[in-house]
Amino acid sequence: MRTMLAVLLAGCTLSWMAAAADAHHAIGGEYDPNKPITLKGTVTRIEWTNPHARIYFDVAGPDGKVVNWNVELAARSALARQGWTARSLTVGDTVTVEGVLARSGVSMVNARSVVLPDGKKVFSGENQ
Amino acid sequence: MAEGSTRVRKVVLVSAMAALLVPLVVQHASTQGQTIAAQRRAGPQTGPIPRLPDGTVDLGDGVWTGGGPINDIEQEGGLKKGEIEALLLPWAKQLMATRDVTQEPHNRCLPMGIPRVTPFPYRFVQNYTHRRPTHMFILQEGNIHSYRQIFMDGRKHPADLDPTWYGHSIGWYEKDTLVIDTVGYNDQSWFDRRGFPHTEKMHTVERWTRLDKGRMEHRFTLDDPGAYMRPWTVTFMARLSPPGDDLMEYICTENNQYGVFSIPGWAEKFGKPQ
Repeated sequence: MRTMLAVLLAGCTLSWMAAAADAHHAIGGEYDPNKPITLKGTVTRIEWTNPHARIYFDVAGPDGKVVNWNVELAARSALARQGWTARSLTVGDTVTVEGVLARSGVSMVNARSVVLPDGKKVFSGENQ
Repeated sequence: MAEGSTRVRKVVLVSAMAALLVPLVVQHASTQGQTIAAQRRAGPQTGPIPRLPDGTVDLGDGVWTGGGPINDIEQEGGLKKGEIEALLLPWAKQLMATRDVTQEPHNRCLPMGIPRVTPFPYRFVQNYTHRRPTHMFILQEGNIHSYRQIFMDGRKHPADLDPTWYGHSIGWYEKDTLVIDTVGYNDQSWFDRRGFPHTEKMHTVERWTRLDKGRMEHRFTLDDPGAYMRPWTVTFMARLSPPGDDLMEYICTENNQYGVFSIPGWAEKFGKPQ
């Protein structure tokens, strides 16, 4: 079971890395694929920009301290060709972000998925 | 009688127009509701090579993606691993060994150079005067928002050129192939993420051959006696993007945070992003 899970995870990581390689920058230089992280918080800002769109969100740590995280998404134009817009998410939304940590250890993450409370994924796959 | 033949001509004209429109309507209906990304995944468009009224291949009927290397010029260019590496002169091999992905010029919103491409599309735009075509421009969405200028008016390369990212390009058609000959490059761009280098002595010949409606082969030959033992050739396939896809604005410097916070020691090495 554990092996199956590992294989599945490896598969997901590989396909994700392949997709990420298409982005403006390979995540390899900036983000550590060996440091996955899942965070839940409230969106405070959306930057619909190139070379990457970004969202910022407040996440409460185990000690209750709130930290504002910087979440790197794909390029704005790549997201637009998948049907996403700046209105696909709203400031104040609660989101769960899965991604990998910046190599420097600051509160930055390259997002693999951004999920709303109802389970809807935004900014990945097709919005049609 | 004259009135009758006019009516017949009208009927024929309307029928012909309808016949021409039907495939367009069908194509539109079949892709309606699909994103550009999904339509791209469905594969290249099919059909004959579109032509200008004078018979020249028409390269301006949409935007293109692919047609060059991104990650690995050997693999993506149809060669075996190590084939180009084996041709590097010793100093160039040493330079390449010092390069890592974080040093790529385009991370700082500098051009990708030639023949490298991005996931973003580009468009061939031919400029005409009342006499003849004068220039071909290749408009690139990203990264960066830029253009190449190719002189199609028969001029030669100037003898003395100050080096530039895109060099000095002259072009012409050979049947269905657009040939672009370029010299006068600077040595700044990388051919791929692996960091293949080149020098200001680089001379490139691009042969863009439209194969059908949806595909264009790009055969790229490089001669750079400053960095490689002999000339080499790589081949790529460009694809026409689905109808409805157009160039979008892409301003790389509006929010480029590459490395600044994420890579330890970045600011000391490169300063703030451009």
